[in-house]
Amino acid sequence: MTRGARRAIGMAVLVGVLLSLFPTTALAADSVPKVTVGVGQALLIALGYYLAQGPWLAGLGFFTLYRPLVAGMLVGLILGDPAKGTVVGATINLVYLGFISTGGVIPSDPALAGWVGATLAIAGRLDPASVLAPAIGIGLIGTVIFNLRMTGAVIIAHWADSFAERGSIRGVALMNWLPSQVWLFCLTFVPVFFVTLNGIQYLTDILTGLPPWVLNGLAVAGGALTAIGIAMNMRFIFRGPVIPYFFLGYLLIVASGGTLPIVVIAALGLVLAYLHVLFTGARASSPAEPVAPTEGSAGPPAAPRPAGGPKVTRGDLIRSWLLWTFFSHSTYNYERLQAVGFAHSMTPIIRRLYQTPAEISSALKRHLVFFNSDPVIGGVIHGAVIAMEEQRANGAPIDDDAINSVKTGLMGPLAGIGDTIDQGTILPILLALGIGIAGVSRDGTVTGAGNVLGPILFLMLVPLIFLSLGYVAWMQGYYRGRTFVTDILRSGVLDRVVIGASVLGNLVLGALAASFVTLFIAPTIHLEAADINIQRDILDKIMPGLLPLGLVLLTWFLLRRRVHPLALVVAYLAIAIAGSCPIFGRAPRYVTDACGSAVFQPYGACPIATASPLAPAAPTALPVASPAAFPVGSPAVSPDSSATPASVHAVAFAVAEAGRRDMTTLAGHISGVQDRSPR
Amino acid sequence: MTLTLVRVDDRLIHGQVVLVWLRAIDADRIVIIDDATSQDEFMRTVLTLAAPPGVPVEVHGLNSGVLRVADLAAGPERVFVLLRSPITALRMRKAGVEFEVLNVGGIGARPGRRSLYRSISASPEELAALRELERLGTGVELRVLPDDRPIPLGTIDRGA
Repeated sequence: MTRGARRAIGMAVLVGVLLSLFPTTALAADSVPKVTVGVGQALLIALGYYLAQGPWLAGLGFFTLYRPLVAGMLVGLILGDPAKGTVVGATINLVYLGFISTGGVIPSDPALAGWVGATLAIAGRLDPASVLAPAIGIGLIGTVIFNLRMTGAVIIAHWADSFAERGSIRGVALMNWLPSQVWLFCLTFVPVFFVTLNGIQYLTDILTGLPPWVLNGLAVAGGALTAIGIAMNMRFIFRGPVIPYFFLGYLLIVASGGTLPIVVIAALGLVLAYLHVLFTGARASSPAEPVAPTEGSAGPPAAPRPAGGPKVTRGDLIRSWLLWTFFSHSTYNYERLQAVGFAHSMTPIIRRLYQTPAEISSALKRHLVFFNSDPVIGGVIHGAVIAMEEQRANGAPIDDDAINSVKTGLMGPLAGIGDTIDQGTILPILLALGIGIAGVSRDGTVTGAGNVLGPILFLMLVPLIFLSLGYVAWMQGYYRGRTFVTDILRSGVLDRVVIGASVLGNLVLGALAASFVTLFIAPTIHLEAADINIQRDILDKIMPGLLPLGLVLLTWFLLRRRVHPLALVVAYLAIAIAGSCPIFGRAPRYVTDACGSAVFQPYGACPIATASPLAPAAPTALPVASPAAFPVGSPAVSPDSSATPASVHAVAFAVAEAGRRDMTTLAGHISGVQDRSPR
Repeated sequence: MTLTLVRVDDRLIHGQVVLVWLRAIDADRIVIIDDATSQDEFMRTVLTLAAPPGVPVEVHGLNSGVLRVADLAAGPERVFVLLRSPITALRMRKAGVEFEVLNVGGIGARPGRRSLYRSISASPEELAALRELERLGTGVELRVLPDDRPIPLGTIDRGA
């Protein structure tokens, strides 16, 4: 078993043991509605998880269903609460904002975290912030699935080899889409189906069986864990002259009291990006010594195509492009990565150009060698290779080495450029936009939040952008050959686009940080006249949201110092849970205001008018929730009782000074689901 | 001063290198040493342009590369050396370039190569070069990404 698999399993076991150490309280049987996920629903959810990694959605599953933002909404649709699903998905996605997969490696599995996490939140009636930590744990387990997939597919690649040896085009094509997908289906659909069908109740029991202060800590940690996701994304773009834009985005949210929509901020970002590039010029460093345009050392198709002989038709080109678009990663495996997909995409071309079994076999084998590049921009290579094959079939002296050298030479740099554009630039910006619109509730409440337009807009933009880019790259590669690559690179367009995108990215990231990272600290100075809470009355009066900003910057700094992101997750969780521990003071008091959400709303009054059953009795600055507000079960209201909550109640991140200060903690979250869920 | 990172990766500048390694080691300069690549005008152009702005890329053949790297190692810049093959690494070492660790990040599978670990394969000559490097005192570790745990050659290659 691979090291990564061992680690993931070890982590899962550890988490499971820890969770089971807490007594699973026998909740009053009637107080908690039984968690039910119907068979049909479990089927759909499991199918969704499979499709996220399968090729059938034009190969775009990785950019769409794989992302928690989309997964959450879809799970919400399946389970009947799309708004909540969207919120949960967006919350989870924040942690995975910096997720990038290069070279056949994934650091964790956002898809599993999204699909199962959202199911847990909706069916288990937990609030989004509380479900964040378990979702991250689930995401880690998903790497086992990926490892198994990649390892098993190696065998299939070898089967493709035998078919190539026999000159069977159909055989190679079949190998790419059938056995590997059966394998993937078994690895993805089956576990998720059973987990969602039977496991949600179990997980929910564990979670709600935890002592209330642990649950509080979990929920509070949720607000802090989002900082990790944002900081991970900052690692890529928060550098150099574009740093100020991050703070600008942050300030825009603060200045507008959180009311400035993310779309407006994104539009502003586009304008600023243009201006920035205009005023500062493109490359920060001078370009390399000018190299004379290449004279065709390996025969790019600048030469006119010879008359006579087989010709690749436009239909062939498009069919080939489609095969690549869909099936590039279908038989993704450790040994050859995208090779089988490459060969599959070349089958229409080979069929057109070569007739004898020997030629066919040689061509198939030629294209089954190791290949890995960015699937979108890397299409240039395919186009160029197709052109070279065409010339070769027409008698040009192009040998295997020449074709291979174009592939091996270009696949690296185009992966670097392509990954930077796709996964490093376009996708995070689109995700941030989608998340911003989806409106992750800052304090976990679902009231009015969860705008499905967020993921829907995302789902519309992704295919539009990626399919267009992919098509253009492919065709340009064919018609202009590999000089297309150098032309684009030399023109400096790429640099300008990347810099402009980092302006936009920083702006949006700063806005996200301001909106969705929450942190509450409790230390309070008690005077005769009033209680002064350090955060609400001092720091936030200087600049609202100072503490969350500080957390994000601290996280970024720690990540730069090579602290492992997982270590940070565990650390933040531990601090949040420990800080909620009653040892440090009186047991938590649950407070809420008329909004049904946190008292300390850093950015202004409750914007949502809700028919809240909560009676905002507020003789003091800290109103207390009345027990009647929670029809199911009763939360702890008096300071000294321990609670048997029927749902998750959260308190603020409590930084304790044992014995000296009041442990007046503030409610950051309310599950609210009992009141508002349609079920 | 020493070389910040010497890495064998037959795809040279690509996603992991640009997006992850470059940031992780905060490199100021990339030096690619490979005879074949240095003679290919087209690849030189592509590689020099493929890195993000602000990080210059140089492509050298073995001889000029060894000299250049010796110069840079004495300077304050953080240098990221990229090689296509462990055989080049061995020749560098024998030519006098000191580096304590050789990071092997990716060698694609091909007829003639045997799979070592995940996406790292090696032909008998390449494996022999790695073993020789170990013998000469340079630690060979397989590590694809900076956050992975490095795998010393000895743990997966019993013949070393």
